Amino acid sequence: MKSAVKKFKGLSDKAIAWIFIAPTLILLLAINIYPLIYAIRMSFTNFYANKIGREVKFVGLKNYKKILGKEEIWEKMQITAHFVCWTLVIQALIGLGLALLLNKKFKGNELLTTLIVLPMMLSPAVVGVFWTYLYNPQVGLFNYVVNFFYDFGIFDMIGSSTLAPWSIVIVDTWMWTPFTMLICLAGLRSIPNYLYEAAEVDRASKWQQFIHITLPSVLPFLLLALLFRGIENFKMFDLVAELTSGGPGSATELASINLKREAFEKWKTGYSSAFAVILFVTIFGFGNVYVKVMNKIKDR
Amino acid sequence: MMDTSRSPSEASGFSRKLAATIIIVYMVVTLIPISWMVATSFKSVDSAISYPPEVFFEPSLEGYVNLFTNRSRQPKDYLDSLPPPDTWYEELVRSREMVITGPSKFLPRYSNSLIIGFGATFFSVFLGSLAAYALSRFKVPLKDDLLFFILSTRMFPPIAVAVPIFIMYRKLGLGDTHVGMIILYTVVNLSLSVWLLKGFMDEIPREYEEAAMIDGYSRMQAFFKVVLPQATTGIAATAIFCMIFSWNEYAFAVLLTQFNAQTAPPFIPTIIGEGGLDWPAIGAGTTLFLIPVMIFTVVLRKHLLRGITFGAVRK
Repeated sequence: MKSAVKKFKGLSDKAIAWIFIAPTLILLLAINIYPLIYAIRMSFTNFYANKIGREVKFVGLKNYKKILGKEEIWEKMQITAHFVCWTLVIQALIGLGLALLLNKKFKGNELLTTLIVLPMMLSPAVVGVFWTYLYNPQVGLFNYVVNFFYDFGIFDMIGSSTLAPWSIVIVDTWMWTPFTMLICLAGLRSIPNYLYEAAEVDRASKWQQFIHITLPSVLPFLLLALLFRGIENFKMFDLVAELTSGGPGSATELASINLKREAFEKWKTGYSSAFAVILFVTIFGFGNVYVKVMNKIKDR
Repeated sequence: MMDTSRSPSEASGFSRKLAATIIIVYMVVTLIPISWMVATSFKSVDSAISYPPEVFFEPSLEGYVNLFTNRSRQPKDYLDSLPPPDTWYEELVRSREMVITGPSKFLPRYSNSLIIGFGATFFSVFLGSLAAYALSRFKVPLKDDLLFFILSTRMFPPIAVAVPIFIMYRKLGLGDTHVGMIILYTVVNLSLSVWLLKGFMDEIPREYEEAAMIDGYSRMQAFFKVVLPQATTGIAATAIFCMIFSWNEYAFAVLLTQFNAQTAPPFIPTIIGEGGLDWPAIGAGTTLFLIPVMIFTVVLRKHLLRGITFGAVRK
């Protein structure tokens, strides 16, 4: 390192800035942006990655028209929307609730927070595998516990097309509620005490304090948490791939799972690239609008 | 609900106790699935598929033996003709009327996870700290756009770029190789490492380097000898986050690796016993795979919030 240090000694700050940033930039361009442009280019062709000798033809917007006109794709989008909306609503409520409770400083607070957070650090794919065991209709612990409280008889969370969409919502909620909780907790801890003291002086009720002080202060944090979760769950692949792999039939076939099937099982590279571009634009568009709304709420 | 608006300092004894009780109940419920998996790893195959589920059971290492070995079932007279088993695990396998035919693929997959994880972590933290320092200290044109661009690379669904990367890697001979996966995970981690490290470096006062530079250090020397040592905690926290990500990653691993560089997450679901999944062995694999992450989480607890929000929320 020493010789390298000496060699650069005369460099100006500007040169150093570029030398420091360049490797990161080049890698991102090569492994992220180039593939994206490649995908966009392929999305206008009839390319099949498994048929190498075949002539690749430019087909214009055909792939896009095909996707947007396909009823099946809208079904997948609905399944994805069901998953994203329910996970966000449930995780927002439970996460905020837990954060409010944790904010009352009791003994062992830090330890409990760390333990509660554990599920979200685990590998989603591995989590998916072990939940298939918990959901097993014959020997699963989940089914046993549910039947302990109310006897439903034998039911199959993963095998039934009405229950399967909820099975992924439950696991995602188990795993990611701590995420919302942690961020909301940071929001709650950032509220200065004097706001409550002033409210007490004005004889505001506890409920009024909650509505006028606590909620508005924590809202930007909650919205940020939901932005992260929303993007992640829109892209959701690993957990569901191992838990239900899109089944039964296509009851839990989220956008990314469908994309994987089209791209790596049917090898429709051109078509799936177009779908990938549509998904990316959707995430980007939603994300941008959301951030604008979020900033407006923050400024208010 | 009304009580929730109380500021923490004046929460009454009762409401504090109630809150603690609810939190403890939640904690217990949320840890049941993980504890159950660990418990399953110490069950015998029969006990793992008994109903009602056994909370108390005779512990067995069958799951771990099955995880690390390949076995085949043999007729009784053949087993009787064999010399007595030398080791406890052979004895265990014999008692199930099987013989060990060799080591399983778990160890190579686990070490692949380690090699790729450490490699990617090293490069993403190294390159990330250089970029973060430049973005933290110097006037860079379009800095905000650059930072947003770096972050936006995280918004691609991995499957969307997986196809072109797959084709690219096939052409370059990087498919199913350790190098290919290290490069890929380095890039995926870069956005996190740049954002986190920039936050940490922003917190180091400029005066330190300026003082060092007045003492005759060049900018480079000041960076390596003053700033980096100051940022050790931040670098360590960032490294652990990068490690956890690479360790847990599944989508790219399952699509781009198969025989040579496959990591543990795509491998664990494929552990099959006779007539279905071998739950104790899967439990054992899961337990061994999750333990490092749980330890890291405890180590990281003070920086957790920062890491999961890319530095957007700091405590």
